[in-house]
Amino acid sequence: MSITTGLPFAPAAAPELADVLPPRKRRGRVAMFVYRHPTIAAGGLLLTIIVAIAIFAPMLGTMDPTALAPARRTRAPNAQYWFGTDMLGRDVYSRVLYGARVSLIVGFSVAFCSAIAGMFIGLVSGFVRWMDAVVMRIMDGVMSIPSILLAIALMALTRGSVQNVVIAITVAEVPRVSRLVRGVVLSLREQPYVEAAVASGTRAPKIILKHILPNTLAPLTVQATFICASAMITEAILSFIGAGTPPIIPSWGNIMAEGRALWQVKPYIVFFPAVFLSVTVLAVNLLGDGLRDALDPRLAKRI
Amino acid sequence: MYAYAARRILSTIPVMAVVALFVFSLLYIAPGDPAAIIAGDQATPADVDRIRASLGLDRPFIVRFGEWVWHILNGDLGQSIFTNLPVSHMIAQRIEPTLSLMVLTLILSIAIAVPAGVLAAWKHGTWIDRLVMIMAVAGFSVPVFVVGYLLAYTFALQLDVLPVQGYTPIADGIGPWLRHLVLPAVTLGSAFIALIARITRATMLEVLNQDYVRTAKSKGVDQRSILFVHALKNAAVPIVTVIGLGVAGLIGGAVVTESVFAIPGVGRLVVDAILRRDYPVIQGVVLLFSFVYVLVNLGVDLLYTVFDPRIRY
Repeated sequence: MSITTGLPFAPAAAPELADVLPPRKRRGRVAMFVYRHPTIAAGGLLLTIIVAIAIFAPMLGTMDPTALAPARRTRAPNAQYWFGTDMLGRDVYSRVLYGARVSLIVGFSVAFCSAIAGMFIGLVSGFVRWMDAVVMRIMDGVMSIPSILLAIALMALTRGSVQNVVIAITVAEVPRVSRLVRGVVLSLREQPYVEAAVASGTRAPKIILKHILPNTLAPLTVQATFICASAMITEAILSFIGAGTPPIIPSWGNIMAEGRALWQVKPYIVFFPAVFLSVTVLAVNLLGDGLRDALDPRLAKRI
Repeated sequence: MYAYAARRILSTIPVMAVVALFVFSLLYIAPGDPAAIIAGDQATPADVDRIRASLGLDRPFIVRFGEWVWHILNGDLGQSIFTNLPVSHMIAQRIEPTLSLMVLTLILSIAIAVPAGVLAAWKHGTWIDRLVMIMAVAGFSVPVFVVGYLLAYTFALQLDVLPVQGYTPIADGIGPWLRHLVLPAVTLGSAFIALIARITRATMLEVLNQDYVRTAKSKGVDQRSILFVHALKNAAVPIVTVIGLGVAGLIGGAVVTESVFAIPGVGRLVVDAILRRDYPVIQGVVLLFSFVYVLVNLGVDLLYTVFDPRIRY
């Protein structure tokens, strides 16, 4: 790289930039992305693998995850049953692979639903002054019920189903999201460009849609990622204590709940779903950490 | 200061009111008509109505809510559907193990996490820092019951140094009590330790860049006193805040930890109550834990002035 000065004569002995800095190594696009955002790359890759496992579970050498076979009860992991069989003779490998579906569905649905609901409540309460106090008092109240207990209480009211699990966890997560969005809205509405928009007669809906909403998306995405991770853990906990996904559906929490009675003699029944759950949650958390660093440098410096 | 404290204490009233309303609605909309259950299969609709009237279940929502709040203020949480015992009595029987577990976890977590976070900030960018951060991410990601089984498998089944499950009351001696609670406390603390270590590291990094820390260094104050006296005291407010907020996770985790380690505490009580659909018990436990959480955070807010005298309200 040479410096063109635009002058008729060359300035004396201006060092070439190439002499000062070593030539930049050229990397491919993918390598560059991995280099700059290692946690997003690692989390994303792991999560992609888990999602692929969930989608292609029927093609990965699995059998019917609910098929009972009392003759082959509690076999230790072997060549035929990679993760062994449980006390009803069901293949743990198949159950764990199918179980990925429940965790991912619950995680993604809760993240999506609570982001949407929280965004709506946060926008309304950040913008409509008279509703702010009331809405936020309600949110404070709901927030002060520990989220797992809140989910337990809601699940006790309804039949166990994946849909109800999603609703119960969403209700527990919404207050945090709406507080976050409200905070962003309150700081944005003091910004000069929003005041300028108000002064030039832009209507409120347009201000919200064009000037406020896009700026809430970055923190909201980061928050949604962490909610996804904690929702997967909460689903497993609910199923584990018998208040979550109905036992007939193989979910990681259910497999562990069933293996619980035998864990001292047959630890592998609990072990495999536990590993899968931990790796999946780790993947989503890594993704969230990376996204936060990439999208919100100010926050990244603080935490 | 006193005016602030008074205002802060008063501000918990609407929060508690919302919690109470929420928890009461739970029982109100719970499926199953208590009157019909009490009346049995042979009862005519008129009988059911009479029982409903005698129980006061036919009165409007707001009247019943007011009456319920009045009972709670008098320490009456209602009766279990399953055992017919007063809920407050059932909780009182189970409170010791839960309280022991949570207090021990709190002490253990702070004792591990704060030094770890300080160390990571001090050795910023080295392998120690990276190790602490990796442990912190892992602590967040591995669910509490997975940690529990892993620890129990290693230390109780393989190494046989600690009991696998169960609980011994503190009245039977500190030694056995502690031995039974070590594994559950580490289990319950795993996510909490990660949380506190992260925030400690982050705030310490900020504080260590301040001018007064450089001044202390340049005038030859020794490293330990810079870290733990000058810096940590100024980093205390965010750390204490996060500890207070983390108590919610601790309460939720206690429910699971008690199940894993077969500890007969309040968490087990609520798990059993779910399986039996014993709504008054669920209601009582949720209410109790929420109030504890609100009170903890009230305490944290009032503590701010102790850690940072500059804060005046």
